Amino acid sequence: MFGEQQRFMLFLIAPAALLMLLFQVLPIVIGANASFRDWALYNPKKTWVGLDHYHSVITDPAFLYVVLPNTFLFMILSVAGALVVGLALALLLNRPFPGQKLVQTILLVPLMVAPVIAAIMIRWIFNDQFGIVNVVLEAIGFDGQPWLVQRWSAFGIILLTDIWLWTPWFTLLLLAGLQSLPKEPFEAAAIDGTTTWRVFRFLTLPMLRPVIVVCVVIRAIDAFRTFDIVWTLTGGGPGRSTELFSLYAYVLAFLNLDLGRGSAAAIVGGLIILVLGVVMYRLVDRIAKA
Amino acid sequence: MPMVTRPNFLPGLPNWSRKTFFALALAAICFAFAFPVLWLILTSLRPESGVYYVHRGTEFTLGNFAEVLGQERIVEAFINSAVISTLATVFSLLVTVSSGYMLSRFTGPGARLWFGTIYVFRCVPYISWVLPLYFVVQSWGIYDSYIGLLLPHIAVHICFFSWLMKGFFDGIDPSMEYAAMIDGCSRWGAFIRVAIPSALPAISALAVLCWLFTWNEFLFALILTGNRVPVITVVMAQFVTEMGLHWNLMAATAVMALLPAFLVALFGQKYVIRGLRI
Repeated sequence: MFGEQQRFMLFLIAPAALLMLLFQVLPIVIGANASFRDWALYNPKKTWVGLDHYHSVITDPAFLYVVLPNTFLFMILSVAGALVVGLALALLLNRPFPGQKLVQTILLVPLMVAPVIAAIMIRWIFNDQFGIVNVVLEAIGFDGQPWLVQRWSAFGIILLTDIWLWTPWFTLLLLAGLQSLPKEPFEAAAIDGTTTWRVFRFLTLPMLRPVIVVCVVIRAIDAFRTFDIVWTLTGGGPGRSTELFSLYAYVLAFLNLDLGRGSAAAIVGGLIILVLGVVMYRLVDRIAKA
Repeated sequence: MPMVTRPNFLPGLPNWSRKTFFALALAAICFAFAFPVLWLILTSLRPESGVYYVHRGTEFTLGNFAEVLGQERIVEAFINSAVISTLATVFSLLVTVSSGYMLSRFTGPGARLWFGTIYVFRCVPYISWVLPLYFVVQSWGIYDSYIGLLLPHIAVHICFFSWLMKGFFDGIDPSMEYAAMIDGCSRWGAFIRVAIPSALPAISALAVLCWLFTWNEFLFALILTGNRVPVITVVMAQFVTEMGLHWNLMAATAVMALLPAFLVALFGQKYVIRGLRI
């Protein structure tokens, strides 16, 4: 039935496809099924309730006015921040200077740090009584702040942690991109005496655009589902004011023990990011071809 | 672009002051990036009595590490994390290298379908399939066991790594494989004896990344394990709530959890940077 080539292709992807079927497709189907049923973890009646869970998720004020805006704000600011800092560092590392290898190693440190551990470090640094930030602030005459129990400072700290964690990722990929650019246009610009800014604006940036776009898409999809650092830094608090989408679904399913509603929330979020992902993929395709 | 003389930054200033400014800015950036880790290491070396005044005391001790290593659960968590990360790396490479090769070397509806599937599943948030995965592993009787954590860890990387692997193979000229096939090599022979050896730097890079990702992973372990298979990230997160006052012990555990990742990354940095450039 299949030719030799088709059989070869099939064998190449068979193990991967089988694993995905068992551990991604099957759970998603089960989750979708649970989202239509009354499925509390302590009392799994599994009676069909139709779209009730979806209705209660998308009309939940906490979801609409806190979780969704938080998630999008977080996604945009975290990607933008890491992109700007990462690009700056990549440009810096792209010119040779003594000690460049050492600097490069130091800048890649956050890449190795587990998000949970990063969150623990930051929690300790911003501890309201003994954290070094407050100690320094008080030493120079300001009042220490209870950083992690105020909404916007807590949100800012989560954001800062995320940017710290993911900047090296941008630096690494953008540096690789920078080093593979052709040299001739830059030599021509140097001969013409073009200013640094104009070289960056009209040469480096346009030529680097495909790499930047791919980085941004990958990172944006990941930022949408951030869980570890929020869980460890604030647990979604104060109140529920720093909850992001993944935490919202987790809390519904495992703390409120309502798997049906938790699954519905997870699917709503999944659909949102799927649409975003497809739109972004189109965008990448168009930019790559242009 | 080392050969090109660049227009100078801050052209009005003399050369030495520009150099000093550059060095200071560089030092400040490095400090900002390394500070959280340095502070953690410093905290881990303070005795219980001095931990709240890390910036002041001069007493240092290795006692925290000894105390942490005396706790059976933490040692067990380290061993579990190491075993799972290593096994996940090996199996994940076995599975994704061939899938990435298929994506790179074939066009047509089959390859397009597989690429589309991978892209879509890459977008699905972990939480959407990890929540129900809890039931799947429970009904198969592998909840809270090695295999129950290992298999999802292999599955999670398939999409991203196949994608990266496709990029790597795209950068390798396939004509060598065609030549091998004309010389009588089978397709499998061309793949295993020609394509894989030339992709070795990229595969090493992937191995480093995979080991780090698995060692650092939290959400799966939180949902799919209980008390029998503690892993280090979950134990650390429990620490924050249960041992919230023992910052010295927490810091010591965190430093030990960072150490293997640092070693892997330090030796693997070369491969990662070279691998991502292909």
